[in-house]
Amino acid sequence: MRFIVRRIGFLLIALWAALTLNFFIPRLMPGNPAQAIVANFRGRINPSALHAIEVALGIGGHQNLVAAYFQYLGNTFTGNFGVSTGNYPQTVTHVIGVALPWSLGLLGVTTVLGFVLGTGLGALAAWRRGGVLDNLLPPSFIVISAFPYFWVGLLCAWLFSLTLNWFPSLNGYNATVDSPGFTWTFAVDVLNHSVLPAFTILISSIGGWILTMRNNMITVVAEDYVKMARAKGLTPRRILWQYAGRNALLPNLTGFAMSLGFIISGAILVEDVFNYPGVGFLLLQAVGNEDFPLLQALLLLITVAVLVAIFIADIATALLDPRTRNNR
Amino acid sequence: MKKFKVGLATSALVLVASTMTVVGPSVVGLAVANAAPSQAPLNLANEQGSLWSCAFNPFIPSSLPYSFGLTYESLDFVNALQSGKVTPWLASAYAWSNGNKTLTFTIRSGVKWSDGQPFSAADVAYTFGLLKKYPALDLNAVWTALSSVTQSGSKIIMNFKAAAVPYFYYVADQVPIVPEHLWSKIANPTTALISNPVGTGGYIMSKCSGQNIQWKSNPLFWQKGMAQIKVVNMPAFLSNNTCNQYLASGQSAWGSQFIPNIQSYYVAKKAGNSYWFPPVANVSLFPNLTVPGLSDPKVRQAISFAINRSLVSKIGEYGYEPPASQTGIVSPTFKSWVSSSLASSLGTGYNLTKAAAILKADGYTKGSDGIYAKGGKKLSFTLTTNGGYSDWIASMQVVSQQLTSFGIKITLQTPAQATFYANLYAGKYQLAYNAEAGGPTPFYEMRQMLFSKNSAPIGTAAASNWERYSSASTDALLNQYATTTSAATQQSIVNQLEAVMVNQAPVIPVLEEVDWFQYNPTTINNFPTAANPYAQPGLYNQPDWGYVLDKLAPKA
Repeated sequence: MRFIVRRIGFLLIALWAALTLNFFIPRLMPGNPAQAIVANFRGRINPSALHAIEVALGIGGHQNLVAAYFQYLGNTFTGNFGVSTGNYPQTVTHVIGVALPWSLGLLGVTTVLGFVLGTGLGALAAWRRGGVLDNLLPPSFIVISAFPYFWVGLLCAWLFSLTLNWFPSLNGYNATVDSPGFTWTFAVDVLNHSVLPAFTILISSIGGWILTMRNNMITVVAEDYVKMARAKGLTPRRILWQYAGRNALLPNLTGFAMSLGFIISGAILVEDVFNYPGVGFLLLQAVGNEDFPLLQALLLLITVAVLVAIFIADIATALLDPRTRNNR
Repeated sequence: MKKFKVGLATSALVLVASTMTVVGPSVVGLAVANAAPSQAPLNLANEQGSLWSCAFNPFIPSSLPYSFGLTYESLDFVNALQSGKVTPWLASAYAWSNGNKTLTFTIRSGVKWSDGQPFSAADVAYTFGLLKKYPALDLNAVWTALSSVTQSGSKIIMNFKAAAVPYFYYVADQVPIVPEHLWSKIANPTTALISNPVGTGGYIMSKCSGQNIQWKSNPLFWQKGMAQIKVVNMPAFLSNNTCNQYLASGQSAWGSQFIPNIQSYYVAKKAGNSYWFPPVANVSLFPNLTVPGLSDPKVRQAISFAINRSLVSKIGEYGYEPPASQTGIVSPTFKSWVSSSLASSLGTGYNLTKAAAILKADGYTKGSDGIYAKGGKKLSFTLTTNGGYSDWIASMQVVSQQLTSFGIKITLQTPAQATFYANLYAGKYQLAYNAEAGGPTPFYEMRQMLFSKNSAPIGTAAASNWERYSSASTDALLNQYATTTSAATQQSIVNQLEAVMVNQAPVIPVLEEVDWFQYNPTTINNFPTAANPYAQPGLYNQPDWGYVLDKLAPKA
């Protein structure tokens, strides 16, 4: 119990620190959002619009930074993120709401899939050391992970889409034909468009999981209790998954939780190569536009997601591994 | 172990099978969709680097490109590519009077809003009243020049504080007219999203999601026989490359993209793929006139003659952007305005001997390091350009090399976009590469560049005239232009402004900014071309692209 209370306390302090940094760091950038908006138009706007935009956004008068800070903290807890200056007058909630489901869907599924497949393959590779699986898989996937993601993405897009025509390489769904809704055609369209991005993310990220799981397994397999289990006559498959695998998995849990937390930050290279909607590009755009409300909301989401994920991972590790509990 | 292997094989099989079933129905679905409607939708390729926010307020910069011109119209259409030629829209006629201080419009009758309500001059008066009440909506600052806008029956009478002939462009072409019967009910128009815009124009927004905006042609449109394309789509693109891919794959017949190697990447891909890049404004070096060395007009003239503009264009812009002229007149768009005597005195604009002679006569000598100096002060400057534009960076690298080898040391800086503009507006730079907005005649760009009241002291943001140029005689010329409708007088004033540009070089034009335009006329007629430049063809020109859309028609 004390353990959980201490963990919650740490979470709250980290959250407050992140919120404060989220507020002050973007404001260190030179210029102001109105100039950023006019700059985006690359000269195709009347220069006198600068003044009109400054009036609209309420810039110009000297803002009391401390008062704004406390207002920001209050707004955060009520969920009022305000209006995005780059997408003015659309609200921040709407702008994020359009992009977030796509990031959550694509990255959520590929992260879980990558973890499950990666740890499974890693465990197998370690169990039969020197076997075909061990010699082939980890090295090839490590090599693929080392390639820059956008190169792998472009190569797959060129090969599977432009040359072989198996899958589409652009967009989240065919927006000129389909409409979002709970229909079979829309679901199929979305799945079709997600195959290439998901495939490229998987093959780029699975190498890490395989390697760490394999290394953990090798250490665990050398332990005495595994020798004891074999001596007792348990089936190899049971030892692999129920005993060695479960123990080797524990260090990976925190890593898995953190990657789940980072789903919310999107995958900017995926979005660039496949024109896939997502939060990554939104973040880049917010920085370029000096869109403070959007930037603050996105950074808040990411921070909260990662902090909560680490917290859950800590609790889960404590629950699953009695050794961590006993040291408290 | 064996059971596991079987399990692995089975799950792999299931994965493959499910993927095939995913692909299968969608292929069938597409085939069915293609069979049904008779006219294919027009898909547009316009990359804006973000998903659509589905707001259509025509007074807000981020949303007006998707409603102004298409759904909302203005009083007249002014064509920048034909030196301001006027086509009547919602105003059937106009006339200046009272020493060019009063502008009277006759408002067209028989026009309906897209919700069926009748349009009238009251809506025009209401729109201008809205701009007066909410300065945040007055993007063209028309109320700095206007003193009153009143309705008299079917006429609208605009009184200006002083003679304001050039303001015709802003009040007649750049103000979208909105319906009073709907907008008067909006509590705060400055934050209104306007998700379902109602206008007099040819296209009505039919559905919008983050990834696509779709418009359908307006059955109540007052311009009979126009807006023949029934459905128009504009998908959202996050980066230039994917949008270029979409255009080159043939799925779009109209694009506004920067495409490297356009011949092999786009033109060769499909029969009929064409492009046209009309120049519209200058992209220039803006010297900070308060910096020692750059404050000397002779130094600026020498810089102008030392730049090999055609090489810069070839290397930095694939030759898409033509070399500019020190007269400041964009050719061939405004070639009738060029003063022939000034043009011949410039030659090609690139003359190293002349540049060296100018500096020598001014007292500069080349040091042992190859850099010109006078009285111990070397000619060495920093040049900043927008770090987000790779083509501008390439162009400025060429310029830096050319000037440094000539004898003026240039150090190139490429800060991020926000930093670049913050420093540009505040005057915290030495040389900067940027473009003014321009307008339907050369006067507009000249005024933006040279009118002293546009500028601001160093440290305060100025939206144009970043070089901080100030001259009472030039201001007088610019004000004089505003008082006359005589083409001859206007021409003479512009020629005098060209002389300012050539003799004092307050701004050094390098290349001419173009409208990016790719099109395929195989199935669609009436795109604007060099032979028929009836409007600016970029998908980001308002209200021009709405006018082009109204004119397009499917080939029979």
